[in-house]
Amino acid sequence: MTKLKILLGALALTFASPIATAQPETTEMQASEATMLTVNVKGMVCDFCARAVTKVFGKNDAVDGVHVDLDSGEIHVGLKPGTTLSDDEVEQLVKKSGYAMISVERETS
Amino acid sequence: MKIGFAALSAVTAIGVASGYAEARPVSYPDGWTSMQMNNGNYASIHAHYSPTFRDSIGLYSERNWSEDWHFTGVQYNRLLKRWNEKDSQANVYLKGGIGQADPFGSNSAELAGFIGIGADWETRRWFTSYEARAYDLGFDQSARQSARIGVAPYIGDYGDLHTWLMLQVEYQPESETPTTLTPLVRFFYDVQLLEFGYTPETERFMANWIVRF
Repeated sequence: MTKLKILLGALALTFASPIATAQPETTEMQASEATMLTVNVKGMVCDFCARAVTKVFGKNDAVDGVHVDLDSGEIHVGLKPGTTLSDDEVEQLVKKSGYAMISVERETS
Repeated sequence: MKIGFAALSAVTAIGVASGYAEARPVSYPDGWTSMQMNNGNYASIHAHYSPTFRDSIGLYSERNWSEDWHFTGVQYNRLLKRWNEKDSQANVYLKGGIGQADPFGSNSAELAGFIGIGADWETRRWFTSYEARAYDLGFDQSARQSARIGVAPYIGDYGDLHTWLMLQVEYQPESETPTTLTPLVRFFYDVQLLEFGYTPETERFMANWIVRF
């Protein structure tokens, strides 16, 4: 019985180790694929405009976070690791918010 | 079933509001807005839902002391055109409502409606707006126009407290004082917009409240 317990314990450690080490590797891989978009927009002149953009982008599954800079007329969009938004999709989200897109820049970290 | 002004006023307690000189009668997709306006001559409440940034539909009720009637009905707002520029935005809106109205002291409501057009132009420093609205109350007709100009004494970023100094001119030909001039201050923070003003011609205070959520 004691030998059986030792055997089971060894098996558990054997299979648990790769899982334990695999998780951080996955996180590092996903983090390395995170993309930040800088969207230049026309028409954003007030907090209600900024809130509209935040709400519409925030509902998209690929979006991790949104920050609006009214001074520069820019929307900074953080995408979830492993996801993407095409330029057309970004433009559609801007239009759905009620504004017009000028350009979109991408930065992957 | 008649929905009285008193009942809708109770809704105000949970955040309803309106404004005749309201700047933007539409919100973002799936956004709710409540508005309330009171300038001493009339008080109105308007709660609406925007399925898209171009449309909103909701309830509107107005009690008009200067012309002795009240109206309650459904209101639809449509953004006809928006001009988005790098540092400015301009809009033209169509507004319409249908419901019932009755004069003060009468228990008989009549089918009533109104139609209006509004326009605004705004930068982060300057604001202008105009609205004209005409009512067919069944027992009477009414019309009025309103225009505003405003300036922001400082430019705040998203999330800051925004302050506007404004001047509103309003023309109600059927009113005892047809033309009024109202200086007002607007505070805008988070989802709340508050306005306070005073009309010397009528010696009445203005208080407006708008919430978007």
